[in-house]
Amino acid sequence: MMKKKGAGLLLAGVMAVSLAACGGGGAASASSAAGSKSEAPAAESASAGDEGKVFNIYAWNEEFKGFFEKYYTVPDGVTVNWIITPSDNGAYQQKLDEALLGQADAADDDKVDLFLAEADYIQKYVDSDATQDVTALGVNDFSNTYEYTVQACTDENGVTKGVSFQCCPSALIYRRSIAEDVLGVSEPDEVQPFLDSWEKFNAAAKEAKAKGYYMTACFAETYRAFSNNAKIPWVDENNKLQFDPMIEEWIAQTDDFVANGETLTASIWDEEKNVQMFKDGKTMCFFGPAWYFNFCMGNAQDPEKGCSGDWAICEGPMAHFWGGTWLLAPAGTDNPAMVADIMNMFINDEEVCSRLVSEDSQFSNNKKVNEAFASDPDYGNAFLGGQNDVALFASMTDNIKWENHTIYDQLLNEGLQSKLQEYYKGQVDKQTALENFYKYVKETYPAIVVE
Amino acid sequence: MSTSESTKGRVQLTVLRIIVYAILIFLAVLCLFSFYMLVINSTKSNAQLQDTFNFIPGSHFIDNLANAWTDASINIPRGLLNSFIVAGLTAVLTTYFSALTAYGIHVYNFKFKNAVFVFIMAVMMIPPQVSAVGFVQMMNNLHLTNNYLPLILPGIAAPIVFFYMKQYLESVLPMEMIEAARMDGSGEFRTFNRIVLPIMKPALAVQLIFSFVQSWNNYFIPALLLDKAEMKTVPIMIAQLRSADYSKFDMGKVYMFILLAILPVIVVYIILSKSIIKGVTAGSVKG
Amino acid sequence: MKEKNRQSGRKKGISYAKYGYLFILPFFAAYIIFTLAPQILTFYNAFFENYRDGLTQIGPNFVGLDNFVTLFTPDAGGVIDMLKYFGNTILLWIMGAVPQILIALMLAVFFTSYRLKIKGQQFFKTVIYMPNLIMAAAFSMLFFTLFSPVGPVNQALISSGVIEQSIDFLNIKISVRLLIALMNFLMWFGNTTILLMAGIQGIDQSLFEAAELDGAGSWQVFRKVTMPLLSPIMIYTIITALIGGLQMFDVPQVLTKGLGMPDNTSTTMVMYLNRYLQTSKNYGMAGAISVVLFIISAVLSIIVYRTLTKQYRMKGGRA
Repeated sequence: MMKKKGAGLLLAGVMAVSLAACGGGGAASASSAAGSKSEAPAAESASAGDEGKVFNIYAWNEEFKGFFEKYYTVPDGVTVNWIITPSDNGAYQQKLDEALLGQADAADDDKVDLFLAEADYIQKYVDSDATQDVTALGVNDFSNTYEYTVQACTDENGVTKGVSFQCCPSALIYRRSIAEDVLGVSEPDEVQPFLDSWEKFNAAAKEAKAKGYYMTACFAETYRAFSNNAKIPWVDENNKLQFDPMIEEWIAQTDDFVANGETLTASIWDEEKNVQMFKDGKTMCFFGPAWYFNFCMGNAQDPEKGCSGDWAICEGPMAHFWGGTWLLAPAGTDNPAMVADIMNMFINDEEVCSRLVSEDSQFSNNKKVNEAFASDPDYGNAFLGGQNDVALFASMTDNIKWENHTIYDQLLNEGLQSKLQEYYKGQVDKQTALENFYKYVKETYPAIVVE
Repeated sequence: MSTSESTKGRVQLTVLRIIVYAILIFLAVLCLFSFYMLVINSTKSNAQLQDTFNFIPGSHFIDNLANAWTDASINIPRGLLNSFIVAGLTAVLTTYFSALTAYGIHVYNFKFKNAVFVFIMAVMMIPPQVSAVGFVQMMNNLHLTNNYLPLILPGIAAPIVFFYMKQYLESVLPMEMIEAARMDGSGEFRTFNRIVLPIMKPALAVQLIFSFVQSWNNYFIPALLLDKAEMKTVPIMIAQLRSADYSKFDMGKVYMFILLAILPVIVVYIILSKSIIKGVTAGSVKG
Repeated sequence: MKEKNRQSGRKKGISYAKYGYLFILPFFAAYIIFTLAPQILTFYNAFFENYRDGLTQIGPNFVGLDNFVTLFTPDAGGVIDMLKYFGNTILLWIMGAVPQILIALMLAVFFTSYRLKIKGQQFFKTVIYMPNLIMAAAFSMLFFTLFSPVGPVNQALISSGVIEQSIDFLNIKISVRLLIALMNFLMWFGNTTILLMAGIQGIDQSLFEAAELDGAGSWQVFRKVTMPLLSPIMIYTIITALIGGLQMFDVPQVLTKGLGMPDNTSTTMVMYLNRYLQTSKNYGMAGAISVVLFIISAVLSIIVYRTLTKQYRMKGGRA
């Protein structure tokens, strides 16, 4: 009746909005992280094509998408949707939570069919009803997977809720030329004895400093090594916050390093750390798995200013892993067979796993395949001066533990680092930094009890 | 005045003028330097950016543009489109309904008219963030997250634009015109749409631009409602850049993202700057 | 619509008042649905415990004033965070708004001075207004990259020998605050200049001439003629600046990635509110902060308005 013009405008607006809103679907372009399109993808399963027509995958970046599109043949008639939310500050977890909590009421085409998770928060989903037993779906051959990757996605009752397509042992990545200058040697098996314990690592740091180098480019570079080997989780059974002695030890080491100028005070992803990877960088050690030196050390690989080939890896003081991507099976998915298919392919299909190693520089989650590369004398990574990185990673996996994780890990780790960083940058004293951390915990996780 | 006094006066004036120009140039440089650095840096490759900053453009503009445009995690073309849709529709709704409401208050004498006016003015004082919590909750319950409606429809109630339109009407619209229209048999709404709106064109144009820009730059509430990658608007994507992401490893691309985010508004501004600046004051000062 | 015309056949004596209600209806409908109802819901939330723990929803459970108590409980160092962030917000605002208004006033006087006859006004006005249109998020992101330890500013300073080691601009309290204030200043001083210019141009020229004839110097003219007559605009400017200042979010949020470092010295009230809307979805605490924000805004607006209009009325200005 009233304002026809206004109503007309409104209607037009609503139409325009819904037109825009049902754009949906995958992102505009997919740039595969490495490698080219394959000619012969892995085999498809007949039953996977008889299920839901829309397959929704939740992830926090495009890494897995690249591998998925390269190796997996999507059954006819099924459309794959990628819902990607960056993980910083818990944004991806929030997105997942909303989706999983609404799974029961969602239309079939909107149901979450597969989602990725990192080690830092996987437990929250594994221990809940939001994920389901993958053995019931047909994923039961774990004979070739690394143990810690299975432990990570198995709940307290022993039910396995997913698989990982990567195994991510984290190595000490060092500059050969700097090691030569500081330690007198540069080959991995010669360098390792100098760095195989924290005492030796700390001593080497002093040597490096004396020669004008930094041991690490980031104050939290060694955090993972310590936190992975903690004996107690972040919270006890009453949800009370507690610090493992390993964390305390990390803090002590960092206090020392910062005070002596043996490390920069940048954070893990800061530009200040990244520029240290150029040829004129002065840092000796970085820590990271295969995905780190292959995809995050672009500066080191720069054709003009980089120093590809001047790197090598060794186990370092303490075996640990960093990151890794798990594929979890959500309860209530309408594409269970396809989920099982995908999972089986990435852990048991030898051809796919081999190509993950040889073409995509991954450390796959298949022991047999990795061993084959490890024992291949001709296999080497040019970036690492020809070193067989797979061999090293394979040898490290036995020492990796999966213990003492909580649902709060991601933000507690991030929070501790960012609050302590202010102390390391000389802006607050340590007591204040820790106070700020406790406040942060209360704001982020009200359920945790803080003294 | 004697000659010596007037000479002194003239010298003083010239000195003052020089000082003023110096201040103006300083402020202009201050305003522009960051943009200049932005443009220069977006023409350099990541490796080149490691060298000391110089004022010479690099040759990697096209490379950075291509990388930024096709980046997998930050879909800037999509973001620009989304922002355009949201800002455009919001601007239209805001402008039209503010004019409508202002006309209602200006022309009609109804009970509570003054109370209504004061109420709208008071509403202007309350920060929108105060209702954010409830708003987000409501939209979550109504399943209207990742939907542009909650971003566009509230634009219908925009007190500041209303105020501007009201001031404008006071200075350009005599009641005789309305009376005349009524004599001619024009219905009230018809009068508004066919006769008054055209008269308000300058104010409408200005507010269209301003509310477009304001909606384009909006960050807080859209960030709370939009988390699907394909729905995100530009400010949300830019804020994402600040976090850890593989995109950060190419600083040339980062600068290009920022440039692309602000370019549309700058282009429009440069074309329309005269009318925009004139419009800032058209409604706010009487006579 | 046509129906209505036919119905109201008799033009004389008809009350058009009801059209007033119709015309303002959309505004009020939208306001009630999208602002008032959410506001009430927000305040309602403040009295409940309502957050997420992992995938479990805790609450809503009625807890009375507990959230407010938590909000105003001093921490281990005796500091009440809410007040600290309020202080930060006001301080950051003052650091930006004072130069903004003073310089804008100065420029407005220069531009409108018929004696100085400044050339190139259109160019300068265009340039100083431009930052107002820039997305605060992009502006902050730009400053973040420019002032990073390995960014262009540090590079330039080091290579020109001014400093030897990079200055960590983004982690030192005073530099973070100055950067925020600088951005706020740049984004708003152009807008204020143009507004004040229009205000000055609205003053009757004859008043200036009369003052000059009476032998008043420029400064006296400014104080006795310009300022009092500019009061309404100044009041408008200060109040809108204050309201905008209380809402400060985009710039410090993006510059410091929400952390307000160091030691939360650049955390504003809205940043604090935003934190509770992230992982923990703590609508209870967020609601409490919103209530406090509302009260602060209302009180400050009233105080400022009363003080300035009182001064203005005392000087005999007309409404």
